[in-house]
Amino acid sequence: MAESEDIDGQLRAVLPRLRRFAQWLCRDSVTADDLVQATLERAISRWGERRDPEALRAWLFQILYRKFLDSRRRAKRESRLLGAQDTGAQQPSVEGEVAASATLRAFSRLPAEQQHLLYCVSVEDLSYRELAEMLEVPIGTVMSRLSRARQALRQLTEEAPATPKLQVLK
Amino acid sequence: MTPSEEDLHAYVDGRLDPDRRRDVEKALQADPDRAAELEAWQRDAQQLRAGLTEQVEDNPRLDPARIRVQMRDRRRSRVMMAAALVACMAFGAIAGWQIRAARDFTMPPPMSDAVQAYRMFSSEAALKPDLETHDPAELQAWIDQKFPSAPHLPDLATSGFHPVGVRLLALLDGAGAMVLYRDEQGDAISFYIRPRVPIPRGERRDRDLLAQFGSGEHYSIAMISHDGRAAAIARQALAGSL
Repeated sequence: MAESEDIDGQLRAVLPRLRRFAQWLCRDSVTADDLVQATLERAISRWGERRDPEALRAWLFQILYRKFLDSRRRAKRESRLLGAQDTGAQQPSVEGEVAASATLRAFSRLPAEQQHLLYCVSVEDLSYRELAEMLEVPIGTVMSRLSRARQALRQLTEEAPATPKLQVLK
Repeated sequence: MTPSEEDLHAYVDGRLDPDRRRDVEKALQADPDRAAELEAWQRDAQQLRAGLTEQVEDNPRLDPARIRVQMRDRRRSRVMMAAALVACMAFGAIAGWQIRAARDFTMPPPMSDAVQAYRMFSSEAALKPDLETHDPAELQAWIDQKFPSAPHLPDLATSGFHPVGVRLLALLDGAGAMVLYRDEQGDAISFYIRPRVPIPRGERRDRDLLAQFGSGEHYSIAMISHDGRAAAIARQALAGSL
């Protein structure tokens, strides 16, 4: 009992960031919370399988991210089966929400994988090692992908007008 | 020394220790383009952090302790379902067994009436048959009259058994009849016809007798004899009648 309370305490500490990541990925709080619940259930039932007890956050992010990718793949497959066109609408979009920043507008135009990477580094502050684990790639691959993502973001930001054109009424 | 790609990103993300940071800064002084690029990356990262760090409201549903309880409840209900299923199956098996036992108690084994008829009519001091004849055609006509679409009576002549007579029987579910055959040694085989009962093709030993039986479309047929040669003859004849 004491052990499970300890586990719950550790999970509780990561929970807000896990939920924020999920909400950002899903753009829908109900889907996001379902994703978090599924992640926690898996973490609780597979607690003994953590490779590095210190890297709980990376482990949880990894579970959540894989579940997210699975569900997205499934959704794509289903929409293909239904003959719907893949409009790329599953990609997170910050448009309309925080359109004030040129960086954010450019960010929303990046491919989903680059967005995920930059989000995890810049917003969630995951270490490169944690990212390598989460994405299941060598750390060198993480670094080169990060370079490409940062260059792409820069390029898109520079292409776009610095500020939205506002009509000033005199 | 030239900073690695990882060093540069760690510089952008503020993850270098002071010594390493100084080394990178020194290297960047010699490469102003690179320095400008990294500075821009740094600004982008800040923008993302500022724009995307949302506060998420608490959701009590996601408390780990609560999820743990839910999981346990789900597991329990699964175990309960499985247990209920096992209980149902066990109950069904026991009830089935008991019903079977009860049926065995109240229902006689298949074709008991045929065996009983054989015992009554095949002994030397037998009751008199309703029709006493050795003529197969006459017997067939008698049977056909009382049992429409009855099967052909078996011809056991090649085996040395000849019909001696037929007896009509009153059964609970209608009329039955028994044709008796004998050979020269006085050995007897009976051909028994009764209204159809749903019994599968089979045989059953009743003390010294062997009942072999099966069902056609309208009637159930049995051939009763002592075991041995007579039973083998009866078995072959029954196969022809069904």
